[in-house]
Amino acid sequence: MNRHDLLLRIRGLFLRRRVEEELDEELRFHLEMATRKNAAKGASGAEAARLARVRFGGLDPVKEECRNVRGTQLIESTIRDIGYALRGFRRSPLFVVTVIGTIALGLGLNTAVFTLFNYIVLRPFPVRDPYSLYAFTWADRLHREQAFSWHEFENFRKNNPAFSEVAAFHYFFARAEGRPLTGALVTGNYFQMLGGGATLGRTLLPEDTSAPGREPVMVLSYAAWQSKFGGDPNILGRKLALHGYPLVVVGVTQPGFGGLDAAPIEYWAPITMTPLLENGLNIFGSENSALPLIVGRLKRRISISQAEADLAGWTRQVTADRPESERAARAFLRSKATVVRLSAKVLAVFSPLAAAVGLVLLLACANVANMMLARAMARQREIGIRLSLGADRKRLVRQLLTESLLLAVPAGLAGFLVSRVAIEVSLRIMFATLPPNLVEIAPRISLPPDIRVFGFMLFAALVSALVFGLAPAVQSTRADVMLAARGEFTSDIRPMRLRNTLVVVQITVCALLLITSGVLIRGEGSMRSFDVGFRTHGVIAMFVAEKSRPLVMARIRSEPMVQAVATASSIPLDGILPPLSISAGEGTKVFDAWYNHVSPEFFSLLEIPILEGRNFTADEARSGAPVAIVSELTARRLWPKGDALGHEIFTRQDGKPSPQYPAARVIGVARNIISCSIPYGPDPPLIYFPAATSKHALLLRVNGNVDIARRKLETELATLGSEDIEESHTIEQSFALSVYPFRAASWVGSMLGGLALLLTVSGIYGVLSYLVTQRTKEIGIRMALGASTRAVTGLVMRQSMRLAAVCIGLGIALALGVSHWFASHLVFVNTFDVFAYGGGVLLVAAASVAAAYVPSRRAARVDPLTTLRYD
Amino acid sequence: MGHESRLDLLQGTLDLLILRTLQSGVGLHGWAISERIEQISQDVLQVNQGSLYPALHRLEHQGWIKAEWGVSELGRRARFYRLTRSGRKQLELETDDWERLSAAIGRVLKMA
Repeated sequence: MNRHDLLLRIRGLFLRRRVEEELDEELRFHLEMATRKNAAKGASGAEAARLARVRFGGLDPVKEECRNVRGTQLIESTIRDIGYALRGFRRSPLFVVTVIGTIALGLGLNTAVFTLFNYIVLRPFPVRDPYSLYAFTWADRLHREQAFSWHEFENFRKNNPAFSEVAAFHYFFARAEGRPLTGALVTGNYFQMLGGGATLGRTLLPEDTSAPGREPVMVLSYAAWQSKFGGDPNILGRKLALHGYPLVVVGVTQPGFGGLDAAPIEYWAPITMTPLLENGLNIFGSENSALPLIVGRLKRRISISQAEADLAGWTRQVTADRPESERAARAFLRSKATVVRLSAKVLAVFSPLAAAVGLVLLLACANVANMMLARAMARQREIGIRLSLGADRKRLVRQLLTESLLLAVPAGLAGFLVSRVAIEVSLRIMFATLPPNLVEIAPRISLPPDIRVFGFMLFAALVSALVFGLAPAVQSTRADVMLAARGEFTSDIRPMRLRNTLVVVQITVCALLLITSGVLIRGEGSMRSFDVGFRTHGVIAMFVAEKSRPLVMARIRSEPMVQAVATASSIPLDGILPPLSISAGEGTKVFDAWYNHVSPEFFSLLEIPILEGRNFTADEARSGAPVAIVSELTARRLWPKGDALGHEIFTRQDGKPSPQYPAARVIGVARNIISCSIPYGPDPPLIYFPAATSKHALLLRVNGNVDIARRKLETELATLGSEDIEESHTIEQSFALSVYPFRAASWVGSMLGGLALLLTVSGIYGVLSYLVTQRTKEIGIRMALGASTRAVTGLVMRQSMRLAAVCIGLGIALALGVSHWFASHLVFVNTFDVFAYGGGVLLVAAASVAAAYVPSRRAARVDPLTTLRYD
Repeated sequence: MGHESRLDLLQGTLDLLILRTLQSGVGLHGWAISERIEQISQDVLQVNQGSLYPALHRLEHQGWIKAEWGVSELGRRARFYRLTRSGRKQLELETDDWERLSAAIGRVLKMA
């Protein structure tokens, strides 16, 4: 394309009328000259003009070709198509609103899910050059993750071969003036490395972490400053007590900065404060050191595998003075650019949700395709005539697609609103239904849209426009010119087949969603009423700081509402129990097991019966005697003959005899409980070791309302001195929490199922209405030949039922597969839940009947005389 | 003016003839161009008038000729086409090509 070409094209586009007139004039001049020449040769006036036109050929094709040379054809015809489509829309506003609404719903749900996906997987953290940030870990020969001592870390920070900058931090949850805050204790260069500036005051500096115990300062995030301290302009200089230790607020970060995790960090304090804040936990010696996260900025022009190899080598050298088993064997790097790195596993986690909302969008598209098809069919006569007059089919298809795109654009915008509302409402519902103790520590995440979300929405809108627009466009322009000229279109069987396919897809998807969510809801129900095997009501778990323990214990024992106190190293339903391998002796089979250190009161407090043998004695508890109470399952596994009592149980940890109890005598057998997490199902073999009440977490059984009691205890104990209770919750809260994700999933499932049902009803209704209109003549003839009203109604109903039956069958087959998948991951899902299947099938069948009812009544009202008079 | 004695123009040769017709530098309108071609070829070459105008517009878009409105010999407004500098170059190229082609075809016809 050269300069002339471009100028002429632009001229053709903007001065279209003028250019057209010029073309007209030019051709007219030519014809006039030709006429004149013919006349000169002796032809009469009219004959001369006729000859000139014959010689010239058709004027219009010539003009069209000249326009083609101009190359503005595409734009001009598109503008014409848009005008044409808009005029059509104005005539049928209901159609437009329905289409936009339907597609917007589908797009909105998909965009909402994508927004979440974007937040977790695609969105880089708003820090400087996030793609060069990597978390560094290293493991020993036995694949155990190991930590640096502070000294080693300092060495690493300065001399490692792969990172240009290295920072370390660990998460630290605390309450400040009653406000729960999620924080991080960081090295002083953290903010420099991530490039986060301050809105007020300053961020942390390397000098803040120059020595242990320095510097008692903290920085708040902008979001926390706003939401938890009301944007207090005098926040700088204020002292906030974290775990009873006062830190001075020296700054507020810039808006949007929240560290490197899904849940935004709300405050930062120097990592050198760790020993003071965490009761002597030491990050500075090699002994008992904390495991901070090490994140660094990778040097330029070094590949990940190269960096990992270099770091492994370096770390091996530095840890050479450690015992053989603790030396570094491998180093790992993990990208810290996004919350989670995109991987097959992440996609697998998201795919059920994506598939569910994708199906809803597909349903919406199918519905709209149906409506478009019905509309196109109604215009078939017009299209047929245009085709027979020589209109280009491609041109017609393009015109119909323009219509779809025009509908998709506002649908995309509306869909965006739908997604915002869906996200907002879901977050609110989530907070409203979360177990109360979790609400206050749950991060207030917001899921802001960004360029990727908009891009996705645009893409999804365009794809759906193609999906719902292309099939009807191709279909309706296929009309046989001969038939069209005669005004007969119904003899073409294909539109019906396409429409049936669409409805089949709809009903099938609807059945699938309804049955699957039914199965999930029933699974959730059975989980809620599930007997975990111990008392959950009225029990509080409490974690107490070591130093104030005697004081707290005395206070609790004097409290009248406390009925019983026990201790356990792992609180039931908290989701974590340490593993152990057990065997009945040398050379016998080894089993994986979990263990828990409990005081003798544990069993009576939680009402776990000891079926055989006896409980721990107070002496055994105090001295930590090598005795054990095992669960029924353990006893059955190790001693199938049922003579567990008195035998020795051998335990091994990490392949070595466990240090505390290489062997313990079984003194009792307790009933099986579910003590880890409900969705995991019953525990594997579980072993209890004795523990004194002076250690571990506390379990309290209280009178009256357990939540009120918990709060009362917390406030009363808080008056004792500094903040002694690190955390407390009721077992019922843990129970609720353990069930929660599952409940949420079943809600989402049933909501999508309900939506699908709605779309299906309207889909079936549309198809059958169209069918009745199309077969009016046939129905009229049937009635004229004596068919009863009932027979005619039956005709339509049968059609609907036939479709529904096929789809329900397909839906059941698919649902079996999906439920099986869920069942393989979640114990409480029953793949063959008859009630869920029955309910889903009934709903879909009822919906099909209801949707067919109105069209069938309309068919019954067909007046044979009127119909036969047509044509 | 027998039917047999007339030849339809080969594809692509119309452009060449138009350019050649305009070589003199005098602006000509479409009608005059078609008349000139027929006249010079002694009515052997028949310009398909339907393809004349698209061809003119195409050449204009390529920048080889340029058009402006003027007054015809009969006092009517008409669109006159003139060769541009790049059109002149193009004409030389195409003339060369054509001569080589026709010479080659001529040789083949004589030899075979």
